[in-house]
Amino acid sequence: MSDASTTDDVEPDHDHEHHHDHEGPGYSTPQAAIEESEREKLAYVMSLYVGTDVDEPDFVAVVDLDPESDTYCDIVDRIEMPNRGDELHHFGWNACSSSCHVEGLERRHLIVPGQRSSRLHVIDTKDRRNPELVEVIEPEEVFEYDLSAPHTVHCVPDGKILISMLGDADGELPGGFLELNDDFEIEGRWEPPGEIEMNYDYWYQPRQNVMVSTEWAAPKTYYPGFDLDDVENGEYGQRIHFWDWENGTVEQTIDLGEEGLIPLEVRFLHTPESTHGFVGAALSSNIFHFWREESAAPRAADEASGDEPRASGEYRVEKAIDFESREHDDWDMPVPGLTTDILLSMDDRYLFGSNWLHGEVWMYDVSDPANPRRADTLSVGGTFGEVQEVQGRELAAGPQMLQLSLDGERLYFTTSLFSSWDDQFYPEEAERGSVMLKADVDPRNGTMTLDEDFLVDWGECPAGPARAHEIRWPDGDCTSDVWQ
Amino acid sequence: MARYDVTLDRVGGPTRTIEVDEDETVLEASRRSGIPLPYGCRTGACGTCVGRLLAIEGAESGGGATDADGAPIDVADAFAYRREPRALKPRHRNDGYVLLCIARPRANSRVAVGSRVQTELVDNPWK
Ligand code: FES
Repeated sequence: MSDASTTDDVEPDHDHEHHHDHEGPGYSTPQAAIEESEREKLAYVMSLYVGTDVDEPDFVAVVDLDPESDTYCDIVDRIEMPNRGDELHHFGWNACSSSCHVEGLERRHLIVPGQRSSRLHVIDTKDRRNPELVEVIEPEEVFEYDLSAPHTVHCVPDGKILISMLGDADGELPGGFLELNDDFEIEGRWEPPGEIEMNYDYWYQPRQNVMVSTEWAAPKTYYPGFDLDDVENGEYGQRIHFWDWENGTVEQTIDLGEEGLIPLEVRFLHTPESTHGFVGAALSSNIFHFWREESAAPRAADEASGDEPRASGEYRVEKAIDFESREHDDWDMPVPGLTTDILLSMDDRYLFGSNWLHGEVWMYDVSDPANPRRADTLSVGGTFGEVQEVQGRELAAGPQMLQLSLDGERLYFTTSLFSSWDDQFYPEEAERGSVMLKADVDPRNGTMTLDEDFLVDWGECPAGPARAHEIRWPDGDCTSDVWQ
Repeated sequence: MARYDVTLDRVGGPTRTIEVDEDETVLEASRRSGIPLPYGCRTGACGTCVGRLLAIEGAESGGGATDADGAPIDVADAFAYRREPRALKPRHRNDGYVLLCIARPRANSRVAVGSRVQTELVDNPWK
């Protein structure tokens, strides 16, 4: 993607502020990502043994997604971590389309944190089918910044990497953000400590100078498992935070209330001008739409600063989708959907998500983000799913982490949430391992069909059944790329 | 330096006894002895390494085993923590759960270990 001559042809009405040549990694615009990308042929998938009696380290699986290949649907390589006990969870690239201005930077290194261990790994994917572990930052180095439990990794401008950290060095609150430099060394804390208590996922929209972050709980609270007493004691989050991206300070905090319990995954629209986005409240199983509302009167502070007057305003939030709990004969109480993942298609038209307990993958048309319209639902796995086995393989849990092809036509998903939570809700996942499944999406008609020819089975890993979690493509995906 | 025998009774697996120095943790000794235990944070925050104390033997006397039958056993008689066991709630501590990544022995003991012990810590609240 270093072909400078193409940049100006793409999306001519796009106001690319600097109007420069496209030099760095990734694509110049979300539309360019859709049009210029090839079909995904490989996936990197977080795979784990932590919390089981299999005495092996977690690994990153390389999955063959090329239907033309002899090893289609196979795990063709496994990059083992040097230690056990990491709980690989979420991961990210050293560079994405947000670095499209940085010459010489490549989308090549994966930053792979251990959620439980607080260890940070760097994997070089120069050889895509046989990536190599090249750096390890040990937990003690992370604890020095009084942080632990790394979660979301985004590359940020200038080759830096920002990681949300859910706890302090003891696994208590507050969490914060750790910044790495382009040599993968800890640069320090990104924000002045104490801006937030709880932390989880985040997304940034640099052209709007905003970041949004969400809340799970203190690591010591969620690590051992999900306990309703903790919810009653207010140990779980229900707020989201809007940050001044340049200053690293919280500008606005919104309490979502009881209907917004445990706001996990958060996404801004890919369009860099947009201030709209969505957050999934996992426990209350609702999706909230947020957007910035400009007000006419400039704020006094802006006038006094002498800077260029900025439009004043603030973020607003409204519940946009509500999933009802369902009765099940074998369960004592109505079962919540548990909306654990959401993602936006690259063209910002569809919002996809997973209700892990219900066993549903859903698709909403969000062309009008304030009024999502249900497009389709796939009922597979989980407690209520209509499809309970694929190719004779019994599904042990519901759909969880999602990833969508850049063209929006193939949705892939895995079934593990978090080892100790899996053990509570789907104990069989430990015995059978996870699977990765795929739905074919028809964006024109807004429909999804389960591809029953597609199955990747972590139950057959050589050392024993493993869990599978987050998914990434080498050339950018719908949950890692941001545009400046 | 005092050493104690800690018998690891793996739920659904074999029972093995390891020697643990008074200033090392059970997890460290298990790794040294090549008898694996599950673990995660190694700081007492995650509960992955949890075991359940089944019995304590009077270490000083070399006999007079204190049995767990009926009365709950006090983890403090068997182990001294290196730091606070944050992953355990008061109810877990009273029930004899012990975090082996930060627990150093103070007596010979017998502990149920393995991933299934961790799954006992929290139930499915809807079922
Ligand atoms: S390994 Fe996390 S509490 Fe022991």
